[in-house]
Amino acid sequence: MRRRLACGSGLMLMLNVAITAQAVQIRQRDPGWSAPPGATSKANPLADRPEAAAGGRKLFLQRCSVCHGEDGRGAGRAPDLTAPDVQVQSDGALYWKITGGNTRGGMPTFSFLPELQRWQLVMHLRMLAPDSGSSR
Amino acid sequence: MPSFRICVLALLFSCSAADRAAGQERAYFVTYDHYLEEPGNLEVAIATTTGRPKNGHSVYTAPWVELEYGFTGWWTAELYLEGVTTRGEGNGFTGWRFESRFRPLKGEHGLNPVLYVEYENISEASRIQKEIVGAGPLPAGPIAELQAERAHELEGKLILSSVVGPWNVAENFIVERNLSASEGVEFGYSVGMSRAVGTLASGTSCHFCAENFVIGAEAYGGLGSTGGIAGGEQRHYLAPVLGWHVTARTTLKGSTAFGLTENSDRYLLRFGFAYELPIGGR
Repeated sequence: MRRRLACGSGLMLMLNVAITAQAVQIRQRDPGWSAPPGATSKANPLADRPEAAAGGRKLFLQRCSVCHGEDGRGAGRAPDLTAPDVQVQSDGALYWKITGGNTRGGMPTFSFLPELQRWQLVMHLRMLAPDSGSSR
Repeated sequence: MPSFRICVLALLFSCSAADRAAGQERAYFVTYDHYLEEPGNLEVAIATTTGRPKNGHSVYTAPWVELEYGFTGWWTAELYLEGVTTRGEGNGFTGWRFESRFRPLKGEHGLNPVLYVEYENISEASRIQKEIVGAGPLPAGPIAELQAERAHELEGKLILSSVVGPWNVAENFIVERNLSASEGVEFGYSVGMSRAVGTLASGTSCHFCAENFVIGAEAYGGLGSTGGIAGGEQRHYLAPVLGWHVTARTTLKGSTAFGLTENSDRYLLRFGFAYELPIGGR
């Protein structure tokens, strides 16, 4: 009986810590999360295939819109991807962030997607910009 | 029976109607990679292991339910409930497991470590074989008798996972201690490789595009214990795996594991269905 009580208390404590940890994590931004120089200069291999952006939109709606919203504006759950501080980043930097994620900030790792699909996501992110247009 | 079929069809239809999730259900059944559940996502999965033993014992099917929740970007926890059914030797509930996976490093690295801790309250009738440790054949006999032999086990895994070109390569090193008996510490392993079939996403919604399929293979087995390696007694399997992301939230997967040693079953047929529900924060 005592063992069951101890197990139950332990489980409750773990759940409590978990919920607190999650609540702290929501909407936190990590100012130290920036791509290394080698990654920022990487060019999008699909830059000359603009039709590939349609696939990027589909992936975005499937994988990213849960947190960032269909329009990428975040809806209070994740950063606004149309914001200047996101759009000013290079294609390579965005690709690096999509690939590796940020476990401390709640951004999942998307390296399970094939490389070209991650570049398609970068293409779609560019389309979300208010002055949507060219690669950086 | 028709109402059961209608329920299954309704479930599949409702799942295929939903199309948003961020997580990625792995194609492996035994091997873990470094991808944790999306924070705030609950994954509900049902799966089965059907095994055909070599020693004349009856074919068994061991179903299990998994509830996996992503608490944070670095912590995922999972609860398993498992059972077994056999032809002629009985059936029943075989126990539960609770595990947590922690990802200590931020971001993607050449080798991504994940720490895994699991507590198991199972009986000797357990047949799901989510991991294989130690040596010797599965305990045989009537399920009712095996159910009476309970085991409280603590298990740890070091999961290492990498992205090599289009491939995921994962290695798991397993240690397990039975807290109910003095069996020493048992060891096991699992390794896997998998990749998406398609590399570019099409612009239209499709269920059968190459991009929705993952292929690969995994190998797993026991490596003896502190009491001895017992090389000739170990069980090892080699299993091709196939995963189909029917929708972004729904995954079907299957595998046929071929027994490589005398104590291994002839084969293990595994099927799984997973559905992701975004229910919490992010």
